[in-house]
Amino acid sequence: MRNVAIIGVGYTPVFVSKRKDVNIVEMMSESVDAAFRNTGLTPDDIDAVTFGNMQTFEGLNLPHLWASEHIRALDKPVLRVSTGGTVGMSVLQAAYYYVASGVYDVVMATSWEKQSEGDSQVGLAGIVLPEAIAMVQHGMDLFGIKGLGFGGGGSTGAASYQAMSYLHHSGASPEHIDKMAALERSNAVLNPYAHLRKKTTVEDIQATQMVAYPLRFGHTCPTTDGATTCIVASEDMVKKLTDGNVAWITGVGYAASDPCTANFLEGQITDPAEQMPAKIAVEKAYKQAGIKDPCKEIDMCELYNGFAHQSLMWLEKLGVCKEGEAHQMLDAGALEIDGEMPTNASGGVFSTNAIGSSAMNRPAECALQIMRKIEGEHQIPKKIRKALSHGWGGLFQYVAVMILADEPAKS
Amino acid sequence: MTFEMGPETRQVEAMWDVSTYNYRMDGTGIRLLTEGMKEKKLRGIRCGECGMVYMPGPSYCRKCFVDIDEVVEVKDTGTVMSYCVTMADVRGNPIEEFRISAMIQFDGADTWFVGTVTGVEWQDFKVGMRVKAVWVDEPAGSLSDIDRFEVITD
Repeated sequence: MRNVAIIGVGYTPVFVSKRKDVNIVEMMSESVDAAFRNTGLTPDDIDAVTFGNMQTFEGLNLPHLWASEHIRALDKPVLRVSTGGTVGMSVLQAAYYYVASGVYDVVMATSWEKQSEGDSQVGLAGIVLPEAIAMVQHGMDLFGIKGLGFGGGGSTGAASYQAMSYLHHSGASPEHIDKMAALERSNAVLNPYAHLRKKTTVEDIQATQMVAYPLRFGHTCPTTDGATTCIVASEDMVKKLTDGNVAWITGVGYAASDPCTANFLEGQITDPAEQMPAKIAVEKAYKQAGIKDPCKEIDMCELYNGFAHQSLMWLEKLGVCKEGEAHQMLDAGALEIDGEMPTNASGGVFSTNAIGSSAMNRPAECALQIMRKIEGEHQIPKKIRKALSHGWGGLFQYVAVMILADEPAKS
Repeated sequence: MTFEMGPETRQVEAMWDVSTYNYRMDGTGIRLLTEGMKEKKLRGIRCGECGMVYMPGPSYCRKCFVDIDEVVEVKDTGTVMSYCVTMADVRGNPIEEFRISAMIQFDGADTWFVGTVTGVEWQDFKVGMRVKAVWVDEPAGSLSDIDRFEVITD
Protein backbone atom coordinates (compact mmCIF):
# COMPACT_ATOMS: atom_id res chain seq x y z
CA MET A 1 0.00 0.00 0.00
CA ARG A 2 1.14 3.54 -0.74
CA ASN A 3 1.43 6.31 1.85
CA VAL A 4 -1.40 8.85 1.72
CA ALA A 5 -1.66 12.34 3.22
CA ILE A 6 -4.36 14.94 3.75
CA ILE A 7 -2.84 17.94 1.95
CA GLY A 8 -5.62 20.44 2.54
CA VAL A 9 -9.00 21.09 4.13
CA GLY A 10 -11.84 23.39 3.15
CA TYR A 11 -14.80 24.33 5.32
CA THR A 12 -17.90 26.37 4.50
CA PRO A 13 -17.31 29.91 5.82
CA VAL A 14 -19.64 29.19 8.74
CA PHE A 15 -21.43 26.29 10.41
CA VAL A 16 -24.82 27.60 11.58
CA SER A 17 -28.43 26.46 12.16
CA LYS A 18 -29.80 27.87 8.93
CA ARG A 19 -28.02 28.94 5.78
CA LYS A 20 -30.96 30.72 4.20
CA ASP A 21 -28.75 32.44 1.64
CA VAL A 22 -27.55 29.37 -0.28
CA ASN A 23 -29.02 26.09 -1.48
CA ILE A 24 -27.47 22.67 -0.88
CA VAL A 25 -25.13 22.55 -3.88
CA GLU A 26 -24.05 26.18 -3.41
CA MET A 27 -23.14 25.34 0.18
CA MET A 28 -21.13 22.27 -0.90
CA SER A 29 -19.27 24.29 -3.50
CA GLU A 30 -18.16 26.76 -0.81
CA SER A 31 -16.18 24.03 0.96
CA VAL A 32 -14.75 22.74 -2.33
CA ASP A 33 -13.63 26.26 -3.28
CA ALA A 34 -12.05 26.68 0.16
CA ALA A 35 -10.09 23.43 -0.27
CA PHE A 36 -8.75 24.59 -3.64
CA ARG A 37 -7.94 28.03 -2.20
CA ASN A 38 -6.12 26.52 0.78
CA THR A 39 -4.06 24.08 -1.34
CA GLY A 40 -3.50 26.19 -4.44
CA LEU A 41 -4.79 23.25 -6.50
CA THR A 42 -7.32 23.46 -9.32
CA PRO A 43 -9.95 20.93 -10.42
CA ASP A 44 -7.47 19.73 -13.08
CA ASP A 45 -5.24 18.37 -10.29
CA ILE A 46 -8.02 16.08 -8.99
CA ASP A 47 -8.24 12.51 -10.36
CA ALA A 48 -11.43 11.42 -8.61
CA VAL A 49 -14.05 12.59 -6.12
CA THR A 50 -15.71 10.85 -3.19
CA PHE A 51 -18.75 12.40 -1.66
CA GLY A 52 -21.65 11.81 0.72
CA ASN A 53 -24.11 12.85 3.42
CA MET A 54 -26.85 11.34 5.58
CA GLN A 55 -29.17 9.48 3.26
CA THR A 56 -32.79 10.80 3.45
CA PHE A 57 -32.11 13.62 5.94
CA GLU A 58 -33.03 16.23 3.32
CA GLY A 59 -35.37 13.80 1.53
CA LEU A 60 -33.23 14.05 -1.61
CA ASN A 61 -31.93 10.84 -3.16
CA LEU A 62 -28.81 10.06 -5.19
CA PRO A 63 -27.01 13.39 -4.63
CA HIS A 64 -24.09 12.35 -6.86
CA LEU A 65 -26.49 12.59 -9.81
CA TRP A 66 -27.29 16.26 -9.28
CA ALA A 67 -24.31 17.63 -7.38
CA SER A 68 -21.29 16.62 -9.47
CA GLU A 69 -20.97 19.83 -11.47
CA HIS A 70 -21.27 21.92 -8.30
CA ILE A 71 -18.38 20.14 -6.60
CA ARG A 72 -16.09 20.49 -9.65
CA ALA A 73 -16.39 16.77 -10.36
CA LEU A 74 -17.67 16.85 -13.94
CA ASP A 75 -15.94 14.29 -16.17
CA LYS A 76 -14.33 12.64 -13.14
CA PRO A 77 -15.15 9.38 -11.35
CA VAL A 78 -17.57 10.29 -8.54
CA LEU A 79 -18.09 7.70 -5.81
CA ARG A 80 -20.96 8.45 -3.47
CA VAL A 81 -20.74 6.87 -0.01
CA SER A 82 -23.51 6.71 2.57
CA THR A 83 -22.90 5.13 5.97
CA GLY A 84 -24.94 7.25 8.40
CA GLY A 85 -23.18 9.21 11.15
CA THR A 86 -19.79 7.90 10.07
CA VAL A 87 -20.30 9.01 6.47
CA GLY A 88 -17.84 11.92 6.57
CA MET A 89 -15.03 9.59 7.59
CA SER A 90 -16.21 6.90 5.16
CA VAL A 91 -16.00 9.41 2.32
CA LEU A 92 -12.45 10.26 3.40
CA GLN A 93 -11.53 6.58 3.86
CA ALA A 94 -12.83 5.86 0.34
CA ALA A 95 -10.51 8.60 -0.96
CA TYR A 96 -7.70 7.04 1.09
CA TYR A 97 -8.38 3.57 -0.40
CA TYR A 98 -8.26 5.05 -3.91
CA VAL A 99 -4.83 6.58 -3.33
CA ALA A 100 -3.34 3.87 -1.08
CA SER A 101 -4.25 1.23 -3.66
CA GLY A 102 -2.58 3.15 -6.48
CA VAL A 103 -5.76 3.60 -8.49
CA TYR A 104 -5.59 7.41 -8.28
CA ASP A 105 -3.00 9.92 -7.05
CA VAL A 106 -5.04 12.93 -5.89
CA VAL A 107 -8.61 12.55 -4.65
CA MET A 108 -11.06 15.09 -3.26
CA ALA A 109 -13.49 14.04 -0.52
CA THR A 110 -16.55 16.20 0.20
CA SER A 111 -19.22 15.75 2.85
CA TRP A 112 -22.14 17.95 3.80
CA GLU A 113 -25.42 18.35 5.58
CA LYS A 114 -28.04 21.07 5.41
CA GLN A 115 -30.17 20.01 8.32
CA SER A 116 -32.37 23.10 8.15
CA GLU A 117 -33.82 21.86 4.86
CA GLY A 118 -34.75 18.41 6.05
CA ASP A 119 -36.12 16.41 8.91
CA SER A 120 -33.53 14.34 10.74
CA GLN A 121 -36.17 12.50 12.79
CA VAL A 122 -37.86 11.29 9.60
CA GLY A 123 -34.44 10.30 8.26
CA LEU A 124 -33.72 8.31 11.40
CA ALA A 125 -37.19 6.72 11.46
CA GLY A 126 -36.61 5.50 7.90
CA ILE A 127 -33.77 3.27 9.12
CA VAL A 128 -36.09 0.93 11.01
CA LEU A 129 -39.52 1.78 9.58
CA PRO A 130 -40.72 -1.76 8.69
CA GLU A 131 -39.70 -3.25 12.05
CA ALA A 132 -41.15 -0.34 14.02
CA ILE A 133 -44.49 -0.50 12.21
CA ALA A 134 -44.67 -4.28 12.67
CA MET A 135 -44.00 -3.93 16.40
CA VAL A 136 -46.63 -1.19 16.75
CA GLN A 137 -49.09 -3.56 15.05
CA HIS A 138 -48.19 -6.09 17.76
CA GLY A 139 -49.09 -3.60 20.47
CA MET A 140 -45.77 -1.84 21.13
CA ASP A 141 -46.10 1.69 22.44
CA LEU A 142 -43.54 3.66 20.42
CA PHE A 143 -43.04 6.06 23.31
CA GLY A 144 -42.34 3.24 25.74
CA ILE A 145 -44.85 4.48 28.29
CA LYS A 146 -47.00 1.36 28.36
CA GLY A 147 -46.16 -2.26 27.78
CA LEU A 148 -43.04 -3.70 26.22
CA GLY A 149 -41.62 -1.04 24.02
CA PHE A 150 -38.52 0.24 22.52
CA GLY A 151 -39.07 3.96 22.75
CA GLY A 152 -38.67 5.99 25.90
CA GLY A 153 -35.87 8.34 26.69
CA GLY A 154 -37.62 11.43 25.33
CA SER A 155 -35.83 13.32 22.60
CA THR A 156 -32.40 12.08 23.67
CA GLY A 157 -33.64 8.55 22.95
CA ALA A 158 -31.33 5.62 23.42
CA ALA A 159 -28.37 7.90 24.22
CA SER A 160 -29.74 8.19 27.75
CA TYR A 161 -29.53 4.41 28.25
CA GLN A 162 -26.00 4.47 26.89
CA ALA A 163 -25.05 7.32 29.21
CA MET A 164 -26.52 5.61 32.27
CA SER A 165 -24.82 2.30 31.51
CA TYR A 166 -21.54 4.15 30.93
CA LEU A 167 -21.82 6.03 34.25
CA HIS A 168 -22.66 2.78 36.06
CA HIS A 169 -19.66 0.89 34.70
CA SER A 170 -17.08 3.73 34.70
CA GLY A 171 -17.77 5.28 38.08
CA ALA A 172 -18.17 8.72 36.49
CA SER A 173 -20.98 10.95 37.80
CA PRO A 174 -23.58 13.02 35.92
CA GLU A 175 -21.55 16.08 37.00
CA HIS A 176 -18.67 14.80 34.87
CA ILE A 177 -20.96 14.98 31.83
CA ASP A 178 -21.74 18.62 32.77
CA LYS A 179 -18.04 19.34 33.06
CA MET A 180 -17.15 17.71 29.72
CA ALA A 181 -19.99 19.64 28.06
CA ALA A 182 -18.76 22.97 29.45
CA LEU A 183 -15.18 22.22 28.36
CA GLU A 184 -16.17 21.46 24.77
CA ARG A 185 -18.54 24.43 24.50
CA SER A 186 -15.69 26.63 25.76
CA ASN A 187 -13.37 25.15 23.12
CA ALA A 188 -15.99 25.88 20.45
CA VAL A 189 -15.85 29.59 21.33
CA LEU A 190 -12.26 29.58 20.02
CA ASN A 191 -13.16 27.82 16.76
CA PRO A 192 -14.55 30.07 13.99
CA TYR A 193 -16.01 26.98 12.26
CA ALA A 194 -17.95 25.86 15.33
CA HIS A 195 -21.72 26.36 15.50
CA LEU A 196 -22.48 26.96 19.21
CA ARG A 197 -19.98 29.62 20.23
CA LYS A 198 -21.15 30.97 23.55
CA LYS A 199 -18.92 30.91 26.61
CA THR A 200 -20.48 28.20 28.77
CA THR A 201 -19.77 27.25 32.38
CA VAL A 202 -20.60 24.06 34.24
CA GLU A 203 -23.34 26.05 36.01
CA ASP A 204 -24.79 27.11 32.64
CA ILE A 205 -24.98 23.45 31.59
CA GLN A 206 -26.56 22.46 34.92
CA ALA A 207 -29.21 25.15 34.47
CA THR A 208 -30.51 23.50 31.28
CA GLN A 209 -33.59 21.26 31.30
CA MET A 210 -33.03 17.62 32.25
CA VAL A 211 -34.52 15.76 29.28
CA ALA A 212 -33.99 12.12 30.21
CA TYR A 213 -31.81 11.72 33.27
CA PRO A 214 -28.82 11.54 33.15
CA LEU A 215 -28.89 13.65 29.94
CA ARG A 216 -29.79 17.36 29.91
CA PHE A 217 -30.57 19.64 27.00
CA GLY A 218 -27.08 21.06 27.56
CA HIS A 219 -25.56 17.61 26.89
CA THR A 220 -26.87 17.38 23.34
CA CYS A 221 -25.52 18.50 19.97
CA PRO A 222 -27.14 21.12 17.71
CA THR A 223 -28.40 20.61 14.15
CA THR A 224 -26.18 22.44 11.69
CA ASP A 225 -25.78 23.47 8.05
CA GLY A 226 -22.26 23.06 6.71
CA ALA A 227 -19.85 21.20 4.43
CA THR A 228 -16.25 20.02 4.54
CA THR A 229 -13.78 19.00 1.86
CA CYS A 230 -10.42 17.23 2.23
CA ILE A 231 -7.90 16.62 -0.53
CA VAL A 232 -5.68 13.54 -0.19
CA ALA A 233 -2.59 12.69 -2.22
CA SER A 234 0.05 9.99 -2.69
CA GLU A 235 3.60 10.50 -1.39
CA ASP A 236 4.87 11.38 -4.90
CA MET A 237 2.16 13.98 -5.37
CA VAL A 238 2.78 15.40 -1.88
CA LYS A 239 6.35 16.13 -3.06
CA LYS A 240 5.09 17.64 -6.30
CA LEU A 241 2.12 19.66 -5.07
CA THR A 242 2.96 20.77 -1.51
CA ASP A 243 5.68 22.22 0.70
CA GLY A 244 5.65 18.98 2.70
CA ASN A 245 3.49 20.32 5.53
CA VAL A 246 0.77 17.65 5.34
CA ALA A 247 -0.90 15.15 7.67
CA TRP A 248 -0.29 11.48 6.89
CA ILE A 249 -3.06 8.92 7.25
CA THR A 250 -1.19 6.12 8.98
CA GLY A 251 -4.02 3.88 10.15
CA VAL A 252 -7.68 3.25 9.39
CA GLY A 253 -10.24 0.97 10.98
CA TYR A 254 -13.92 0.23 10.68
CA ALA A 255 -16.24 -2.17 12.50
CA ALA A 256 -19.92 -2.81 13.20
CA SER A 257 -21.68 -4.96 15.79
CA ASP A 258 -25.32 -5.91 16.05
CA PRO A 259 -27.68 -2.95 16.52
CA CYS A 260 -27.79 -1.87 20.16
CA THR A 261 -30.84 0.33 19.82
CA ALA A 262 -34.15 -0.05 17.97
CA ASN A 263 -33.51 -3.72 17.18
CA PHE A 264 -37.26 -4.19 17.32
CA LEU A 265 -38.03 -7.58 15.85
CA GLU A 266 -34.93 -9.59 16.66
CA GLY A 267 -34.22 -8.47 20.21
CA GLN A 268 -31.35 -6.31 21.41
CA ILE A 269 -28.46 -8.34 22.80
CA THR A 270 -25.78 -5.68 23.25
CA ASP A 271 -25.28 -2.91 25.82
CA PRO A 272 -25.18 0.41 23.92
CA ALA A 273 -22.24 1.40 26.15
CA GLU A 274 -20.18 -1.71 25.33
CA GLN A 275 -19.00 -0.44 21.93
CA MET A 276 -16.92 -3.44 20.95
CA PRO A 277 -16.67 -2.13 17.34
CA ALA A 278 -14.67 0.85 18.64
CA LYS A 279 -12.14 -1.49 20.22
CA ILE A 280 -11.92 -3.70 17.11
CA ALA A 281 -11.60 -0.76 14.69
CA VAL A 282 -9.03 1.11 16.72
CA GLU A 283 -6.85 -1.95 17.35
CA LYS A 284 -6.59 -2.46 13.61
CA ALA A 285 -5.74 1.21 13.06
CA TYR A 286 -3.14 1.27 15.86
CA LYS A 287 -1.50 -1.85 14.42
CA GLN A 288 -1.34 -0.34 10.94
CA ALA A 289 0.06 2.91 12.36
CA GLY A 290 2.66 1.04 14.45
CA ILE A 291 1.22 2.43 17.69
CA LYS A 292 1.88 0.09 20.63
CA ASP A 293 0.96 2.28 23.60
CA PRO A 294 -1.81 4.68 22.57
CA CYS A 295 -2.01 6.20 26.07
CA LYS A 296 1.51 7.56 25.58
CA GLU A 297 1.76 7.89 21.82
CA ILE A 298 -1.50 9.66 20.91
CA ASP A 299 -1.11 13.44 21.31
CA MET A 300 -4.72 14.53 20.75
CA CYS A 301 -8.20 13.18 19.98
CA GLU A 302 -11.13 14.35 17.91
CA LEU A 303 -14.05 12.14 18.90
CA TYR A 304 -17.57 11.87 17.51
CA ASN A 305 -19.84 12.92 20.35
CA GLY A 306 -23.47 13.67 19.65
CA PHE A 307 -23.85 13.69 23.44
CA ALA A 308 -21.37 14.96 26.01
CA HIS A 309 -20.91 11.67 27.92
CA GLN A 310 -19.57 10.07 24.74
CA SER A 311 -16.26 11.97 24.78
CA LEU A 312 -15.40 10.29 28.07
CA MET A 313 -16.72 6.92 26.91
CA TRP A 314 -14.76 6.97 23.64
CA LEU A 315 -11.47 7.84 25.33
CA GLU A 316 -11.82 4.54 27.20
CA LYS A 317 -13.21 2.42 24.38
CA LEU A 318 -10.53 3.67 21.99
CA GLY A 319 -7.74 2.74 24.38
CA VAL A 320 -6.52 6.30 25.00
CA CYS A 321 -6.95 5.58 28.70
CA LYS A 322 -8.10 2.63 30.80
CA GLU A 323 -11.79 1.93 31.48
CA GLY A 324 -13.00 4.23 34.25
CA GLU A 325 -10.10 6.70 33.89
CA ALA A 326 -11.53 9.28 31.51
CA HIS A 327 -13.40 11.29 34.16
CA GLN A 328 -10.23 11.34 36.26
CA MET A 329 -8.35 12.78 33.27
CA LEU A 330 -11.11 15.38 32.93
CA ASP A 331 -10.82 16.33 36.62
CA ALA A 332 -7.03 16.59 36.26
CA GLY A 333 -7.36 19.01 33.33
CA ALA A 334 -5.73 16.56 30.89
CA LEU A 335 -8.49 16.95 28.27
CA GLU A 336 -8.12 20.72 27.92
CA ILE A 337 -6.46 22.31 24.88
CA ASP A 338 -3.20 22.74 26.78
CA GLY A 339 -3.55 19.43 28.66
CA GLU A 340 -1.84 16.09 28.13
CA MET A 341 -4.61 14.68 25.94
CA PRO A 342 -6.45 17.56 24.28
CA THR A 343 -9.87 16.16 23.39
CA ASN A 344 -12.19 17.87 20.93
CA ALA A 345 -10.27 21.15 20.90
CA SER A 346 -12.68 22.05 18.09
CA GLY A 347 -15.72 21.74 20.37
CA GLY A 348 -16.59 18.38 18.82
CA VAL A 349 -19.76 17.19 17.15
CA PHE A 350 -21.33 18.27 20.42
CA SER A 351 -20.90 21.92 19.35
CA THR A 352 -21.20 21.57 15.55
CA ASN A 353 -23.25 18.88 13.84
CA ALA A 354 -23.76 19.15 10.10
CA ILE A 355 -24.07 15.37 10.35
CA GLY A 356 -22.79 14.30 6.95
CA SER A 357 -19.59 16.27 7.55
CA SER A 358 -19.28 15.63 11.30
CA ALA A 359 -17.16 12.49 10.95
CA MET A 360 -14.94 14.22 8.36
CA ASN A 361 -14.37 17.26 10.58
CA ARG A 362 -12.72 14.97 13.13
CA PRO A 363 -9.76 13.88 10.90
CA ALA A 364 -9.80 17.31 9.21
CA GLU A 365 -9.26 18.98 12.59
CA CYS A 366 -6.47 16.49 13.44
CA ALA A 367 -4.80 17.27 10.09
CA LEU A 368 -5.01 21.03 10.64
CA GLN A 369 -3.62 20.63 14.18
CA ILE A 370 -0.67 18.57 12.87
CA MET A 371 -0.04 21.10 10.06
CA ARG A 372 -0.47 23.97 12.59
CA LYS A 373 -2.94 25.57 10.19
CA ILE A 374 -5.82 25.96 12.66
CA GLU A 375 -7.73 29.19 12.04
CA GLY A 376 -8.99 30.70 15.26
CA GLU A 377 -7.54 30.15 18.70
CA HIS A 378 -7.93 26.44 19.32
CA GLN A 379 -4.48 25.45 18.02
CA ILE A 380 -3.02 22.98 20.53
CA PRO A 381 0.22 24.49 21.87
CA LYS A 382 2.28 21.28 21.95
CA LYS A 383 3.57 19.63 18.80
CA ILE A 384 1.14 17.00 17.51
CA ARG A 385 2.86 13.91 16.11
CA LYS A 386 0.01 11.39 16.25
CA ALA A 387 -3.70 12.16 16.40
CA LEU A 388 -6.74 9.93 16.77
CA SER A 389 -9.98 10.73 14.96
CA HIS A 390 -13.21 8.81 15.27
CA GLY A 391 -16.67 8.57 13.75
CA TRP A 392 -19.75 6.88 15.18
CA GLY A 393 -23.30 6.22 14.13
CA GLY A 394 -25.65 3.59 12.79
CA LEU A 395 -27.85 1.92 15.36
CA PHE A 396 -25.29 2.78 18.05
CA GLN A 397 -22.94 0.12 16.64
CA TYR A 398 -21.02 1.51 13.69
CA VAL A 399 -17.51 2.93 14.26
CA ALA A 400 -14.79 4.36 12.03
CA VAL A 401 -11.34 5.52 13.11
CA MET A 402 -8.42 7.22 11.41
CA ILE A 403 -4.94 7.91 12.77
CA LEU A 404 -3.08 10.92 11.45
CA ALA A 405 0.59 11.69 11.90
CA ASP A 406 3.27 14.22 11.02
CA GLU A 407 5.30 11.52 9.25
CA PRO A 408 4.31 8.74 6.87
CA ALA A 409 4.14 5.21 8.25
CA LYS A 410 7.36 3.26 7.90
CA SER A 411 6.70 0.13 5.88
CA MET B 1 -13.24 35.90 10.99
CA THR B 2 -16.20 37.80 9.65
CA PHE B 3 -18.69 36.25 7.31
CA GLU B 4 -21.90 37.97 6.40
CA MET B 5 -24.67 35.74 5.14
CA GLY B 6 -26.23 36.85 1.90
CA PRO B 7 -29.93 37.67 1.39
CA GLU B 8 -32.47 34.93 2.08
CA THR B 9 -33.44 32.93 -1.00
CA ARG B 10 -36.75 31.34 -1.97
CA GLN B 11 -38.06 28.34 -0.06
CA VAL B 12 -40.16 25.53 -1.58
CA GLU B 13 -41.96 22.98 0.57
CA ALA B 14 -42.23 19.27 -0.22
CA MET B 15 -43.45 16.05 1.36
CA TRP B 16 -42.95 12.30 0.90
CA ASP B 17 -45.87 9.91 1.34
CA VAL B 18 -44.51 6.89 3.22
CA SER B 19 -47.81 4.97 2.96
CA THR B 20 -46.78 3.76 -0.49
CA TYR B 21 -44.15 1.34 0.83
CA ASN B 22 -44.84 -2.38 1.31
CA TYR B 23 -42.41 -4.34 3.46
CA ARG B 24 -42.17 -8.13 4.00
CA MET B 25 -41.40 -9.22 7.56
CA ASP B 26 -40.59 -12.54 9.22
CA GLY B 27 -43.10 -12.51 12.07
CA THR B 28 -42.31 -15.91 13.64
CA GLY B 29 -40.63 -14.70 16.83
CA ILE B 30 -42.98 -11.82 17.54
CA ARG B 31 -46.08 -14.01 16.91
CA LEU B 32 -44.69 -16.65 19.26
CA LEU B 33 -44.17 -13.99 21.92
CA THR B 34 -47.51 -12.22 21.63
CA GLU B 35 -49.53 -15.49 21.33
CA GLY B 36 -47.99 -16.60 24.64
CA MET B 37 -48.71 -13.26 26.26
CA LYS B 38 -52.44 -14.06 25.94
CA GLU B 39 -51.78 -16.62 28.71
CA LYS B 40 -49.34 -14.32 30.54
CA LYS B 41 -46.42 -16.42 29.30
CA LEU B 42 -43.21 -15.12 27.72
CA ARG B 43 -41.54 -17.28 25.06
CA GLY B 44 -38.24 -16.89 23.29
CA ILE B 45 -36.20 -18.93 20.82
CA ARG B 46 -32.94 -20.60 21.83
CA CYS B 47 -29.89 -21.20 19.65
CA GLY B 48 -28.71 -24.81 19.89
CA GLU B 49 -25.12 -23.81 19.12
CA CYS B 50 -24.39 -20.95 21.55
CA GLY B 51 -27.38 -21.16 23.89
CA MET B 52 -28.42 -17.54 23.29
CA VAL B 53 -32.13 -17.00 23.98
CA TYR B 54 -33.72 -14.32 21.81
CA MET B 55 -37.05 -12.71 22.65
CA PRO B 56 -38.57 -11.93 20.25
CA GLY B 57 -36.61 -14.49 18.28
CA PRO B 58 -35.24 -14.28 14.76
CA SER B 59 -35.32 -17.43 12.62
CA TYR B 60 -31.53 -17.77 12.78
CA CYS B 61 -28.88 -16.99 15.39
CA ARG B 62 -27.15 -13.72 14.65
CA LYS B 63 -23.94 -14.94 16.28
CA CYS B 64 -23.76 -18.53 14.92
CA PHE B 65 -25.69 -17.99 11.66
CA VAL B 66 -27.62 -21.25 12.04
CA ASP B 67 -31.41 -21.78 11.89
CA ILE B 68 -33.04 -21.79 15.33
CA ASP B 69 -36.50 -22.94 16.39
CA GLU B 70 -36.27 -24.28 19.97
CA VAL B 71 -39.01 -22.52 21.96
CA VAL B 72 -38.17 -21.77 25.60
CA GLU B 73 -40.15 -20.22 28.46
CA VAL B 74 -38.83 -16.91 29.81
CA LYS B 75 -39.78 -15.60 33.26
CA ASP B 76 -41.60 -12.29 33.72
CA THR B 77 -38.97 -11.12 36.19
CA GLY B 78 -35.73 -9.50 35.15
CA THR B 79 -32.74 -7.28 35.85
CA VAL B 80 -32.35 -3.59 35.04
CA MET B 81 -29.40 -3.25 32.61
CA SER B 82 -29.75 0.51 32.14
CA TYR B 83 -32.44 3.15 32.51
CA CYS B 84 -33.31 6.78 32.06
CA VAL B 85 -35.80 9.10 33.74
CA THR B 86 -37.89 11.15 31.35
CA MET B 87 -38.31 14.68 32.70
CA ALA B 88 -39.31 16.57 29.55
CA ASP B 89 -41.70 16.00 26.65
CA VAL B 90 -40.50 15.56 23.08
CA ARG B 91 -40.42 19.34 22.65
CA GLY B 92 -38.17 19.68 25.69
CA ASN B 93 -40.78 21.18 28.03
CA PRO B 94 -40.62 19.97 31.64
CA ILE B 95 -43.25 17.39 32.64
CA GLU B 96 -44.93 17.02 36.03
CA GLU B 97 -44.62 13.27 36.53
CA PHE B 98 -41.16 11.87 35.90
CA ARG B 99 -41.14 8.45 34.24
CA ILE B 100 -38.54 5.72 34.69
CA SER B 101 -37.87 3.76 31.49
CA ALA B 102 -35.65 0.75 32.06
CA MET B 103 -33.84 -1.63 29.75
CA ILE B 104 -34.72 -5.00 31.24
CA GLN B 105 -33.20 -8.40 30.63
CA PHE B 106 -35.85 -11.00 31.48
CA ASP B 107 -34.70 -14.04 33.44
CA GLY B 108 -34.03 -16.79 30.93
CA ALA B 109 -33.53 -14.46 27.94
CA ASP B 110 -30.45 -12.69 26.59
CA THR B 111 -32.27 -9.84 24.86
CA TRP B 112 -33.33 -6.54 26.40
CA PHE B 113 -36.71 -4.81 26.34
CA VAL B 114 -37.70 -1.33 27.47
CA GLY B 115 -40.53 -0.89 29.95
CA THR B 116 -41.84 1.68 32.41
CA VAL B 117 -41.11 1.05 36.10
CA THR B 118 -43.51 2.44 38.73
CA GLY B 119 -43.76 2.45 42.51
CA VAL B 120 -40.20 3.65 43.16
CA GLU B 121 -38.67 7.13 43.55
CA TRP B 122 -36.39 7.86 40.61
CA GLN B 123 -33.55 8.87 42.93
CA ASP B 124 -33.64 5.39 44.50
CA PHE B 125 -33.63 3.53 41.19
CA LYS B 126 -30.37 1.81 40.17
CA VAL B 127 -28.81 -0.35 37.46
CA GLY B 128 -28.90 -3.99 38.61
CA MET B 129 -32.24 -3.73 40.42
CA ARG B 130 -34.70 -6.60 40.04
CA VAL B 131 -38.13 -5.99 38.52
CA LYS B 132 -41.32 -7.96 37.83
CA ALA B 133 -43.87 -7.43 35.06
CA VAL B 134 -47.34 -6.19 36.02
CA TRP B 135 -49.81 -7.75 33.58
CA VAL B 136 -53.12 -6.22 32.47
CA ASP B 137 -56.25 -8.01 33.74
CA GLU B 138 -57.37 -9.26 30.35
CA PRO B 139 -54.42 -9.95 28.06
CA ALA B 140 -55.20 -9.87 24.35
CA GLY B 141 -51.98 -11.15 22.78
CA SER B 142 -50.27 -7.79 22.55
CA LEU B 143 -46.98 -6.30 23.71
CA SER B 144 -49.12 -4.02 25.87
CA ASP B 145 -50.38 -7.01 27.88
CA ILE B 146 -47.49 -6.19 30.21
CA ASP B 147 -48.58 -2.80 31.51
CA ARG B 148 -45.47 -1.84 33.49
CA PHE B 149 -42.86 -3.16 35.92
CA GLU B 150 -42.38 -2.94 39.67
CA VAL B 151 -39.23 -3.34 41.72
CA ILE B 152 -38.93 -6.63 43.64
CA THR B 153 -36.51 -8.03 46.19
CA ASP B 154 -35.75 -11.68 45.44
